[in-house]
Amino acid sequence: MAQPASDPSKAYKWVALVCSLVCLVFLAAAAIRENVTADWRRYQQAYREILKAKAADTASRRAAEAFRVEIRQVTVVSTKTVDRCVTCHTGIDDPRMADQPNPYKTHPKGLLKIHPTEKFGCTVCHQGQGAALTFEEAKGEDYFWDYPLIPAALTQATCNQCHDPRRLPAEAAGKLARGIKLYEEKGCAGCHKLGGKGGPQGPALDNVGLKTKHQFVRTALQGSQTTWSWLTEHFRNPGGIITGSLMPVPAVTRAENEALTIYMLSLRQQPIPSEYQAPDKIEEQYARLHPPEPDGARLYRQYCAACHDTALSTRWDKLFQRFVPAIRNPAFLRTEDDECLITNIREGRPGTRMPAWGAKAGGLGEPELQAIVSYLRQGAPAAALPPAPPRGSAERGRRLFYQECAGCHGPDGKGLVAPALNNPVFQSAATDAFIAQTIRLGRENTPMPAFARAGFEESDIGDLLAFIRTWAPAVVTRRQP
Amino acid sequence: MRSTEEFVKNLKEVPRHLGESMLRTGRLPQTDRERSQSTFHNLFLHTQSVRVHRHSLRFAYTFGLGLILVASFVVLTITGILLMVYYKPSTELAYQSVKDLHFVVPAGRFIRNIHRWAAHLMVAAVFLHMARVFFTGSYKRPREFNWLIGLTLLVVTLGLSFTGYLLPWDQLAYWAITIGSNIASSPREVTDALNITRWFDVGGFQKQLLLGANFVGEEALIRFYVLHVAILPLVIAAFMGVHMWRVRKDGGLSRDESAEPLPARVEGRDVHVFQPTKTYGLMAVIRGRTAVVNRAPEGTVSSWPHLLWAEIAAFTFTIAVTLVLGYFFDAPLKEVANPAIPENPAKAPWYFLGLQELVSYSAFMGGVGIPTIVLIGLGLIPYLDRDPAAVGVWFGGREGRRTFWLSAVFGLASVIALLAFTVNFGWLRAWFPTIPQIVIIAFNPGTVLVAVYMAWSLWTLRRSGSIRQSAIALFTCFLAGFIVLTAMGSIFRGPNWHFYWWPSQWPVH
Repeated sequence: MAQPASDPSKAYKWVALVCSLVCLVFLAAAAIRENVTADWRRYQQAYREILKAKAADTASRRAAEAFRVEIRQVTVVSTKTVDRCVTCHTGIDDPRMADQPNPYKTHPKGLLKIHPTEKFGCTVCHQGQGAALTFEEAKGEDYFWDYPLIPAALTQATCNQCHDPRRLPAEAAGKLARGIKLYEEKGCAGCHKLGGKGGPQGPALDNVGLKTKHQFVRTALQGSQTTWSWLTEHFRNPGGIITGSLMPVPAVTRAENEALTIYMLSLRQQPIPSEYQAPDKIEEQYARLHPPEPDGARLYRQYCAACHDTALSTRWDKLFQRFVPAIRNPAFLRTEDDECLITNIREGRPGTRMPAWGAKAGGLGEPELQAIVSYLRQGAPAAALPPAPPRGSAERGRRLFYQECAGCHGPDGKGLVAPALNNPVFQSAATDAFIAQTIRLGRENTPMPAFARAGFEESDIGDLLAFIRTWAPAVVTRRQP
Repeated sequence: MRSTEEFVKNLKEVPRHLGESMLRTGRLPQTDRERSQSTFHNLFLHTQSVRVHRHSLRFAYTFGLGLILVASFVVLTITGILLMVYYKPSTELAYQSVKDLHFVVPAGRFIRNIHRWAAHLMVAAVFLHMARVFFTGSYKRPREFNWLIGLTLLVVTLGLSFTGYLLPWDQLAYWAITIGSNIASSPREVTDALNITRWFDVGGFQKQLLLGANFVGEEALIRFYVLHVAILPLVIAAFMGVHMWRVRKDGGLSRDESAEPLPARVEGRDVHVFQPTKTYGLMAVIRGRTAVVNRAPEGTVSSWPHLLWAEIAAFTFTIAVTLVLGYFFDAPLKEVANPAIPENPAKAPWYFLGLQELVSYSAFMGGVGIPTIVLIGLGLIPYLDRDPAAVGVWFGGREGRRTFWLSAVFGLASVIALLAFTVNFGWLRAWFPTIPQIVIIAFNPGTVLVAVYMAWSLWTLRRSGSIRQSAIALFTCFLAGFIVLTAMGSIFRGPNWHFYWWPSQWPVH
């Protein structure tokens, strides 16, 4: 019954043959991709030809011949950096390559003479993925990398890790220095904290430069998905990037926008080894620990002007939807004494947009608060106030308040467009004499009318006082004149 | 002078003698006797029997899935050892060492890609292998216990893949393991609802055991590393050994004993009647179907070279697939792990996304309850369905095929309908915000689905009067549910676990 043989494993032999061939082909392809056609190999081969062409003497000709095609990297132990950028940027510190195209070109401005590659590496200034060997991966945009290559126009942002940019030549870090100045001039600190100083309305900015794109709301971001493009578009129109943002549109030019973006990118609290800190950086730190006499006008501009503007007349704030008091208005200043002013600044006005600026909140020390008060006081000295009428009937006062005051100050004294009267700092800081005088004479250049002229009697003011004082917190040591 | 000649002659014959001494038979086998010897005189081949049934070599019966699993395990072991040479299991160094593998280690990127793809292949193949064994009824006597070993291998395979997921220490790894370890702590949902977590915190204990801390950090990384490179590979190798040993001892691959006998292949010729030319000695007295008395061993061929060719084909196929995928598609590596920036959505590895979908309804039911029910159910199958008929036939014949298609349609329809309902109308919490959590644990889309599938299976049991049909119905339904839930979790769930038709519709942030 023997039959002619049919090979039961014939199909498997074919599968094995085809699959083995596929394996061989792909192993060979992988080997070629890695060992022959890699971009950096082509660049280094081209660089060797450039070296040969530029060789003027025997020694440099021999050096060109000896140039080996291999992965090059800079290892900086103290900053834990391994940068392989020099694998393609082979001529980066060779001054002869100034006329060559990228990636062979010499580093511009001769910066590597004072920042030798061996000591600094590349990514400490430029960011990007130093470990990578292709440009797309080294650039790190649209790629899973937290800190992509900073565009050349913005690279100044990293100078202040080791320098005080204000002491560097303008062509080196001028934009960054301008950003620092703009931050002060535009009163950004009125809402943003930096180094513990500033208002609480906006987010603290201490580490904005270290944030990754994932920490920004990018739903409305038009340009590249990077932190700098977010910052630039945000300075152009904050509300367009973050719906409902309370930040006013900063009145800045395109160049100023760039300067602010650079400054924001430079904000990073990342320890840098002390041997990297330039003398100017150490002086900057010294100056921070030994501040000069506080300058009231400057402090006002930094912390107050963003909301109060010149504060000579009341300002209607579109975003806050209320009046911002005219605190340099002589009529106001005459009614308030220094202690009342400083308490208001130190403690703020809870329940309103006015934050507390004392050391524990806004970060301003007593001398600085004092300097701000002296600056405000330039407007007018505190006048001796006529005494307040005795407090009358709270019930009559309530009716009068609802009729005359509630429209602006709110029926419950919480303040609608006008300041809140029920808040504890106001209640403790304002004396009866101050309140009575304000009702009598109103406030010049503000919507607060003079009620004495409208026929208010002293007894009416006494009734109102009694009602307003029903909001006083239970345990408050009230100052009486 | 003579000794010099002898030396030269020996030197010349070194290659030939080396070859002869390497093979115990001294040459490639020419006769069936030598083919048998080639198998059982070789340490690696002697674990297989010297003759194998033609049926076992049929591709359409096994699809080579078991061999593909062994092959991918071998690929994973080899590439894994190569990766171990460069990988540094510390939170400070792990990510950078993977980056270096990617960028500068010779062939490092390729090796890591192959490792990743082989892992995906192995997980996919282990599910398919289980489905194959189930649908051909191969779990039946005497192979019941090997089915349980196979289940253990499924769990260990998932464990290996899961532990490997953390090692690159990137955002993907970090948040997938955070999700995974939260699933481990899901019994808290029940203990919290009963208000006994303070005394009886199983969930917290499981999570601590897994992570060595309350969060994913250095302790978790070193724990996962040890599990991934030492403990689990040893465990899986041991169980694989037992699994294959039992395959052989339980009578080889299952086959239809009632089918028309195939010719045996003896000395290169197909013969229908086997004439014994050997005398047998009594080695042992055994019970069962394997020792064939008074019957020719029809349908067998010698393992050398036929089984060997099948094995070589499966190995080269596996290697070719992983090489091609590894050449074109890089293994993912996202930003370095950052506990301050949660991934949204944070997703577990793909084979757990079905569970994650269930976890989004009830952490306990999705993470512990339903997987336990499924594993116990799978383990009980061979002990509940003991009808020996139609072993080795796909779906056990025409009726089973019909049950399979009906159940596939029913299983798909019910899971899709339930998901569509949940996506459009929400669930109990959306309608009765104050409802006690314990009610939702008991009654949520996951448990409803399990109940519907069980009802379908019971209905099939009553309709057909066959446990086998009912088992096919249940298994098919669960398979359909697993596939749809996994697709739901991987493709259709976006930030905040909201439903999206396609990832390109996800909001940027």
